[in-house]
This record gives sequence, structure tokens and C-alpha cells, in this order.
Amino acid sequence: MAKIILDNIAHTYEPNANNPIFALKEMSLSWADGGRYALLGPSGCGKTTMLNIMSGLVRPSHGKVFFEEREVTSMITEDRNIAQVFQFPVIYGTMTVYENLAFPLKCRQFPEDQIERKVREVAEILNLQDYLSNRAKGLTADQKQLISLGRGLVREDVAAILMDEPLTVIDPDLKFRLRRKLKEINDKYKTTLIYVTHDQNEAMTFADNIIVMDQGEVVQAGSPKDLFERPQTTFVGYFIGSPAMNLYKCSASSQNEISIGAKAFKVKTNINSNSDNLKLGIRSEYITVESEHSDNSLEADVIEVEDFGNYKLITASFDSLKIKAKVKRELDIPSEKVILKLPAEHCCIYENNKLI
Amino acid sequence: MSLLLNKISFKPTEEYHLNDISLKFDSGKMYTILGRTLSGKTTLLKTIAGLQTPDSGSINFDDTDFLSIPVWKRNVAMVYQQFINYPHLNVRDNIAFPLKQRKMDENLIESEVKEAMEKVGLIGFESRKIQELSGGQQQRVALARSLAKKAKILLLDEPLVNLDYKLREGLREEFKKLFNVSDESNSILIYASTDPLEAMQLNGNIIVIDEGKILQSGTAKDVFENPATAKVAEITNDPAMNINKCLIQDNSLIMNDSVQIQIPDQLKSIPNGKYLVGIRATDIYLDDQGFAFDVEISEISGSETFLHLRNNNLKCVATIEEVKTYNTNEVVKINFDKSKIYLFEESGELQHSPYQ
Amino acid sequence: MPRLYTFLKYFFVVLWACFVIAPFLWAISTSFKDFNSVTGGATYIPWLQFEPTLDGWSVLFKPGSQGGINIIGPYFNSIFVTLTASLISIVLGTLAAYALSRYTFKAGIVKNNDITFFFISQRIMPPVVLSIPFFIFLSSLGLLDSLAGLILVYIVLLMPIAVWIMVDFFNRVPREIDETALIDGCNPFQAFFKVVLPNSVPGMLVAGLFCIIFGWIDFFFAFILTFTKVQLLPVKIVALNSSITPWWSLSAAALVSVAPLIIVAFIVERYLSKGNLSGALK
Repeated sequence: MAKIILDNIAHTYEPNANNPIFALKEMSLSWADGGRYALLGPSGCGKTTMLNIMSGLVRPSHGKVFFEEREVTSMITEDRNIAQVFQFPVIYGTMTVYENLAFPLKCRQFPEDQIERKVREVAEILNLQDYLSNRAKGLTADQKQLISLGRGLVREDVAAILMDEPLTVIDPDLKFRLRRKLKEINDKYKTTLIYVTHDQNEAMTFADNIIVMDQGEVVQAGSPKDLFERPQTTFVGYFIGSPAMNLYKCSASSQNEISIGAKAFKVKTNINSNSDNLKLGIRSEYITVESEHSDNSLEADVIEVEDFGNYKLITASFDSLKIKAKVKRELDIPSEKVILKLPAEHCCIYENNKLI
Repeated sequence: MSLLLNKISFKPTEEYHLNDISLKFDSGKMYTILGRTLSGKTTLLKTIAGLQTPDSGSINFDDTDFLSIPVWKRNVAMVYQQFINYPHLNVRDNIAFPLKQRKMDENLIESEVKEAMEKVGLIGFESRKIQELSGGQQQRVALARSLAKKAKILLLDEPLVNLDYKLREGLREEFKKLFNVSDESNSILIYASTDPLEAMQLNGNIIVIDEGKILQSGTAKDVFENPATAKVAEITNDPAMNINKCLIQDNSLIMNDSVQIQIPDQLKSIPNGKYLVGIRATDIYLDDQGFAFDVEISEISGSETFLHLRNNNLKCVATIEEVKTYNTNEVVKINFDKSKIYLFEESGELQHSPYQ
Repeated sequence: MPRLYTFLKYFFVVLWACFVIAPFLWAISTSFKDFNSVTGGATYIPWLQFEPTLDGWSVLFKPGSQGGINIIGPYFNSIFVTLTASLISIVLGTLAAYALSRYTFKAGIVKNNDITFFFISQRIMPPVVLSIPFFIFLSSLGLLDSLAGLILVYIVLLMPIAVWIMVDFFNRVPREIDETALIDGCNPFQAFFKVVLPNSVPGMLVAGLFCIIFGWIDFFFAFILTFTKVQLLPVKIVALNSSITPWWSLSAAALVSVAPLIIVAFIVERYLSKGNLSGALK
């Protein structure tokens, strides 16, 4: 086990070009030992490149990779003590579950009794103890994926387990079970788990720390709560949360006030900028329906009220801007005009799409 | 015009795929078939399309015997959950395919195709190859093809389930608008889904299916508020409604030794005895004076946190309206919104609904 | 490290290329030699090391009356037999494969997989086993020593290859594409011809390539089932072997016979690597 440090890493697949396109723009990151991480972003954002750099499948064109003090930049995967779980379960179908789990230890010529002890221990954690003598072929998809994972867990020297969209082929009902197992494993073994996905729900559920990537850059790293409440960029605001964050072009009218069209709103942010690319962002969860006007309230025309059962989603228009508010189902919504309040403490101000 | 299914059964193996299904679909209306994976949704759609012949029962459409008409002569359209298009044709020819098959006049085809492409936002992609499109665009092509056909029956089999989370969110909204527009065409629209929120949002009639049997059908609001059985209540809620055994005795509702609540007024008339109690995850809230539960796992979805809780043998899921990570085995205190309690007979039938 | 890796990579590729190309260079140089140059030790470069002559080549096209061996007739026989048999095998094999992939057949314990195995099993037997039945079969039909007879036998040999490749190919084409065609108003035949077939070109090309190769190189059946009227190229070339082997004309004939395969392989490879076909179906 080890802390993983990416030191000024950047990667381009065309290192000899004059103006190379970087799949991964320069960054430094460190992954704490025993952490539970998710690498989240839309396809093509560079998350798989990042994963491959850590696993050793890709040698970064710039920068260095360390496992604790040891530089591993040019080391191949086998020497790095990294375990990987892919989208599709990798199992040896003709072997039994026991032999599958024992395989990495057998290859490293561990003594039999040690292998047996370790395999039984891991099998118990994974709830596979009753299947040890079964052929791996006949198991369900989630059990097979657990075996892929178990082969990483039997080795005590593993620095991290990297998982690339590991739940893609798993039935929705089983996903929950597997996600829960992953958390338990992390709690018990304190093995660093790094989980790559494009699905925000999966990332938010699984990880304590989420690294959001977009176009080869890390745009925000933080806890699910941080990402939701204070998105660092408008992209994160859009990508995290459902519905996406409401975003409006605005201008600064004073240090703690912005205006959208003729309407002024108080905010908690200190704005010292006259940039003409200012945006106000607010989550639809924080917008409230009021019966009378107060600070930061506005009157909007109701376009639609959707009943989702668990909540209602109001879509309204205000100065030709669309505004979405998520409210309790029990609330009665007037059918034409509605007064909405944007609480100052939940307003995020973005300059050039970056949070101030 | 209406489509009538009369006692349709299909049992290719030991288990029923469709079990004695009788349904009536009226033209100009939208129906959502809601059920879990492998509940028989796809089989039902394929049976209506004519791709599968039931073992018994009859189907009538517009007073003709539908079962005697082969697929290619039934005027239906279908969109699959996989992105199914004709790979050898470009976008335009894909959409024109059913019209050409019908030997429609070339000029008319041209205008119909254009109209359909406008509806789904594919203008400018006419001569693209299917392989050059993203998943979302491919599904738009499939949708445009089924719209251009102006079929009397439009079948959609979980059309969004294979798309990325953010894309799904956007397309779902567009879909809803599209269907509202296509209402004028007086076709029957049948949409299969596993997602209760999707079914609620589409806001048509909901047909709940499980193990090949229809459990309930009615308006979205009615099925949500008054589920006929405990099973329906589970299927139509995400997270599934918490259903637990309980005992009603002397004005208290006993779930287990420590979780017992005072019977609210609306339940006073209910005779003592054993029941199933149903409480939605959203109707459980954090309360310092409440019952202590252990957190088994917390999951974050969109902007909510689902807490999977346990108190001895009693398990339930609560939705907390904020993004927050809870640790496994952390103790939280919760309470139940008494005004929202459902009661079901032990056999599963609804005994009391808060909306009755 | 990476530089060494690149070097090694190219080193082995070049080495391999030499192995593949060397026999061709050898055959080409031999085909321009005369008796003395062939027997006088290894030489490679014309004019410098040996005096090139066209004798080896001209013999191939001269009629027997002028001391030649005239391979033109057998050449066209071979092309005709191979192409006809391959074409029929592909057409029938594709249809059979589609049926096996899409419909469920059951006759007692015999199911789809058994039928597919029956096709492939035709290739398991050593050809020698089949030679006598085929001989009797053709002779009772009066088709010995005829092009039609050879085509018939070759279809038996080639169709299993086509069925085998195409069943696998169709199994990978989503069934929903056919279903969509049916829903869009095609009857099952139209669905096959308008939708399935145009998307099966890559598979058919690969199957066709294999059929042509296996048909073209067959010596055994051509040797047993023909005598004088009809001769195929492989038989004619082997017949060159007499008391003194004319290495020069043998080399020339070998080059001529392998040329069509190389051309076909290049065309198919170009077609497939355009990507628009191979990537059409995942």
C-alpha cells in the first residue's frame, strides 16, 4: 500500500508534433493511502489516460509518478503492484473460484497454507465462500466481477485497485449490492480504490473524494458535498446534480450585488471584477416558492409543473430566462405566476466559468 | 380506435413471460409500462408489434384481428433500448426507409423525412453515416424513423436506458414535448420503463407489470398515490417503498421491539392485527427525538442522499434532501411522517392509503 | 528504453518480411535462368551474376506441338471452376447461415448447433476418404473429367467454410435490425435482401476469400477426378516434374499461379481496411 503521487503530469499521444494536443493537461495530484476515489467525467475527458498512467499502461510524456518515495514513471504494470478491474469481468472460466482467487499468489509462489488462508479470508468478505469449489463460469455477472476484484485483494502488497467502469455490465439490481461490497472492502482492507466512471450517481455514491475531469483537465476535486454545493466551474454545476444548476449571465452592480437584466440580487460573494463574463449559478433545490416578495425574490411565469412523485419540478420563465425549482410534492403551485426566491447564501458567482 | 389485448399468455419455458394479460389502449393517449428488468415489458411490446406470437389470447385493433396480420403489415413503429438503425444507410435514408417501403411518393418522403428530422433536432446530419454519430444521435435517428412513419401504434422499449446520465436527462425532456405534439396524430404511444421517476414525468397512464402479470393500471397520479398492492408500491417508487411487517395493537403500530409508533387518527378505525406497513423513503426524516437506526450504506443520487438503515431486523431506506456522506455503522435518529403511512394486508392488498 | 523497443519492433518486422519475400525473390530470379545458371550455385542478380533468359516463361505459353506446355487452358479452367464454386458456395452458404442464425430448427435431438457442426464436419475428414465416393458419384452422373463435376465437388468442400464464417458473422448482427426491418414493412425476404445482406458484405468478402484460396490451391481432387479433357492449373504444374525438373518454368508457373490470389487478397484487404465496412456492425 502506498500513497500515489502524480508530479506535474501531462500526456500527449503525439509527443513529436509542433503543437501537440494534450489528452491530459499538466497537473499534480496525490492519492492518499486507503482513500476511496472516483474519477468522473464525460467520455473523452482524459480519465482513462490518467488511469493508464497510474497503472503503467501509458508512460506520461511529461512529469513523474511516485508510489510513496519510489519513482515508478517508467516501470511496467507488473512491477507496480497495481490491481485492475475492467468493465468486463476477467475470470478463468475453467478454474474453480478458489483457483481463480489463488492464481495471483500461486504465480508468485506463495506457500500453500498461506494461499489457502488468504483466499478463504477474501472469499468470505466477498460472500463467495460457498462457491469456492464451483467453476467460475457458472456464476452471475456480479459474482464474476467480485472475483476480478478478489484477485486484487488477495495480494497484500497491492498499492491500489483501479477500476474502469466496473459496473457497466452489471444488472441494475445487482449494482447496489456490488457498490456496497466495494465500500465494505475499502473499510476493512484500507486498500486505495480508484473508480473511473461517467455516471455521477455512481461516483457520488462510491467515493469520499471525486476528481471531476473535463477536456483533459481536473476541474474540481472534492467531497460529493463540495461538488454539489460549491461547484468550482460551471461545467461541474451542469454535470453534477439533476437537474443541472440554473445558470444566468449577469453583471456586477456592487460588491455584493449582481443584476440580471433590471433585477438585482444580493449575493455573499465579494465581487471585485467588471468582467463581462459573469454568471450566477443556483441549484434548483435551493430555490424556494414564496407567497410574497422579499429580498432576492422574483416573479416568474409558470411553464410547467412536473410531478415526479418524490418531488415537484417547476419550470418557469423570467425575462425569457428559464428557471427550474425543485420543491416538495405537497406544495400547491399557482398555475400562472409564482414568486421564487434565490437565497443569497446559495448563489454561486462565476467569472469566465470559474467560481469566485 | 383502440387496441384491445384479451387474455394474452405466453409461456415459452417453465415460467410465464406474459400471464393472462387483458388491456385496452385508446388512440391519442400515452401509456407507460412500468416494471423491473425481465418483468415481461419487452415481450409485451414485441407481442403487440407482432414479433412474437402469444400462446393464447387475442389482440384486436380497430375491430380487426391483429394476430392474423404479419408484422410487416401492422402499422406499428418501435424504438429499442439498443441503438438500432440500418448501418449501411445514411441518416436520411434510414428515416426514409419505412416510407420507401410503403412506396410513398418521393416528394412526400422528402418532406416527411425533413419534418421528422426537425422534430428530433437532426437537421444538418442528413448524409452522415450512422457509425459517425454518438449514441444519443443514433437514438434520435431511430426515433425520427418511427415518427416519420406516422404509425398508429408507437412502441418505445426503454429508449433512454443506455444513454449517459446527462444525455438521458436532456432527451427525456425533449421526448415529452415530442409526444405531446404527436398526440394530434391520434396514435397510441406505449413506453416501457423501469424507472418510476421517468413514468411519473411522462405523466400518462401507468401499467404496472411484474412476472408477466398486470398488477395495476391507471393514471400516474392514481397509481402513485393508491398502489393496489405492496408490490406495486415497491415498483412505482425509487427508492422502492419501504414495506415491513407490523402489528397494530391498542392504538400503536409495532414494527419491532423498539420501533413503535402511536397510531395517527386516520388509522384509528383499522382493526388490530398483522399488516404490512409502507412508508416512502421521502417520508422518513431525521429527528433527534426519533428512533435510532444504523447506517448500512449511504448512496448519493443527483441531489439526494439515500440512507439504507437498519434497526435489528427492521430495514428501511430514507431519502435525505441534501448531499452528505454518512459512514457505515453511524447511528442516525429518524422518524416517520405519520400522515403518509400506507397499510397493506399481509397478502399484499392495499388496506389504507393516505390519499384515500 | 522506448527507443530500444522501437528498434527491436522494426527489426523483427523486417526480419519477418524477409522470410516472406525471400521465396518470391528466389522464384523470380530462378524463372529467368537457364539450365546452367540454375545448377551453377546460388546467384541472385541478373546480368551481373547470370544471363537472364525468357525461356522459362515462353514455354508456359507455347502449345505442346512446339515443345511448350501451354498453361493458358488449365489457367482459365482453374479460374472458372474456383470462381463458380466459390460464388455458389457463398450464395448458398450465406442463406443457410442466416437461417441457422435466426431460426430455431429442431428434429428430435438435432438442433441448430448440430446442423452447423454437420457442415463443418465435412472438412474434418481427410480428403482421401472422400475420393472414392466422389469418384463413383461423378462417374455415375457421367461428370468425370468435366468442369461441372469439379464445380460440384468444390461446392461440397467450400460451402462449409462459407457457412461457418457466416453463421458466426450473423450471430454478431443484432437480431433487432431484422426485426426493425419487419416492423418497417419488409417481409422476411425483403428484410434479408434489403437490410441484412448489404450489411453482410464484410463477412461475405472474408468467406469469399477463404473459398477462393481453398478452391484455387486444391490439387488432390483435380488430380483424381480429371484425366485429359479438363485440366486445372495445379495438376498441370505438377506435371512439369519429369526426369529433369525444369526449375525455371516451374518457378514461372508458380508465380503465375499465385498471382491471382495475391491480387484478390489485396483487393479484399483494401476494401475491409477502408473501415466503412468492417466497422459497420459491432
